[in-house]
Amino acid sequence: MKLARKLVDSVKPKFAKGSKLEKYHYLFDAFETFLFVPDTTTKNGVHVRDAMDLKRTMLMVIIALIPSMLFGIWNTGHQHYLAFGMESSFMDNMIFGLIKVLPIIVVSYAAGLGVEFLFSITKGHPVSEGYLVTGLLIPLTLPVTVPLWMVALGAVFCTLLGKEIFGGTGMNFMNPALLARAFMFFAFPAFMSGDIWTDLSPEVGHQVVDAFSGATNLVVFDTNYASLPSAWDMFMGFEQGSIGETSVLACLIGAVILIVSGVGSWRIIVSIFVGGYLMGLLMNILAPADNLAHAMHTPAHFHWLMGSFAFGAVFMATDPVSAAQTNTGKIIYGLLIGIMIVVLRVFNPAYPEAVMLTILLLNVFAPIIDHIVVERHIKTRLKNA
Amino acid sequence: MENLLGIFVKSIFVENAIFAFFLGMCSYLAVSKKIKTATGLGLAVIFVMLLTAPLNYLILTYMLKEGALAWIHPSLATVDLTFLAFILFISTIAGAVQLVEMIVEKFAPALYSSLGIFLPLITVNCSILGASLFMQEREYNFSETLVFSVGTGIGFFLAIVLLASIREKLRYSKVPEPLQGLGMAMIITGLMAMAFLSFSGIKL
Repeated sequence: MKLARKLVDSVKPKFAKGSKLEKYHYLFDAFETFLFVPDTTTKNGVHVRDAMDLKRTMLMVIIALIPSMLFGIWNTGHQHYLAFGMESSFMDNMIFGLIKVLPIIVVSYAAGLGVEFLFSITKGHPVSEGYLVTGLLIPLTLPVTVPLWMVALGAVFCTLLGKEIFGGTGMNFMNPALLARAFMFFAFPAFMSGDIWTDLSPEVGHQVVDAFSGATNLVVFDTNYASLPSAWDMFMGFEQGSIGETSVLACLIGAVILIVSGVGSWRIIVSIFVGGYLMGLLMNILAPADNLAHAMHTPAHFHWLMGSFAFGAVFMATDPVSAAQTNTGKIIYGLLIGIMIVVLRVFNPAYPEAVMLTILLLNVFAPIIDHIVVERHIKTRLKNA
Repeated sequence: MENLLGIFVKSIFVENAIFAFFLGMCSYLAVSKKIKTATGLGLAVIFVMLLTAPLNYLILTYMLKEGALAWIHPSLATVDLTFLAFILFISTIAGAVQLVEMIVEKFAPALYSSLGIFLPLITVNCSILGASLFMQEREYNFSETLVFSVGTGIGFFLAIVLLASIREKLRYSKVPEPLQGLGMAMIITGLMAMAFLSFSGIKL
């Protein structure tokens, strides 16, 4: 530690104001504050005396994401060995998962932070910690078989057009991680749908078992919900899907961390779950009685367990920048997300998983929801004045 | 009935005039700086749409289509005047816009001055002519035309109010100088169109 401190201190004057490498000051600053707690205080903006700054907020989200990430790594190995019908220990699964998942995470960080550094040098603003979360969220929403160049392209697209173009962290209106996912989904549909959810790289002396099917639960439920796996398996996450989305349990652990630390809004998370459940119940009532296999008959709580409902509700919709800002607005925003997810899942065969696009859509609606809430509030206050 | 509901939902969300066809972009980009003026223009467009598409439908069916003039004299049964559709549709729209202009000037003078030139320019708003032409191309009947025109109008209203609300929110963002204003509005529209893709694929 002392060695690192010494090293940092020895190069520090080179980046100071007026010296040769002044242009790269913010780059240096980012690395220094990443390694050590800075001793400088805030100079502009709001002077809130709190230990909670942007850096801690983002770190809290990363801590909350760790259960999902670890489970995703394990599940990658588990699904792989399952497809080949091989016995595998916990360590086997973890090692295989790490080999597959770690490069995706590294590429996502490298590409996105590259753009961020470029902007901080040319535009002269400090490197913000916002990308630390986005860079981890992107890999967790992707299938494990995704090519690495595509991850880089998605990360660059979302950092550039989703964030930096608006002025950086906190200035955008759409969730950058979901934007990357949506961009890749529409630009390269062949890599983002179909039998891509399990890594089928060949194993010496083993063949893919006959019973293997690459379909996720969302495809299954569209044709016949009765052939879904048990609710318990879906809750724990022993299923195919994007790396981080499968385990509802891991997402709920993350939700508890986010809510207790005050980073994520419980209003949004709870209202999404409530909205989805109520819409699921309504679907059950309206379902055609003569066709019991119809997707509308799916039990309401299954919508919570399938796909990335929980992951999206906990980590994506709660993004404090792109979500609604007012308390009432947050509840409306959450309810609408829950309702729309179930509606699109059931009625839109083009996209079996609606969570990604629904949250992006409600990001678009969030400002007008806030506007209406604020206007109404002003009106009632004026009336009572 | 189900068909009408389908057309209504489709024209608002699935085939939104702005996000699916990029029709009516000029006023959409120009009058979306404030929610209040955007709402005013959106309402004016809904009204003009509601007036013109059914009117154009009547003109089309009772004057222009082949054999439509047979009610005057049987010898006119072979006359086909559909080549006049464009010019007559535009004249109807221009007339309706004049009406709206007079109404707005009389009852909402503040809105009238803030909309400025863009109120008479509704005449050349492509989404309004587009609604009339889609009505002709898809061979809607009268009730379908009515529902379709209201739906397209509401779709435009929704799009312009959403863009205005986002632009109001982004007023405090540090957008790079060359992109300020229209450039940013274009990029936002593209991103919004991506979010609206969630509806494409719904079969109605």
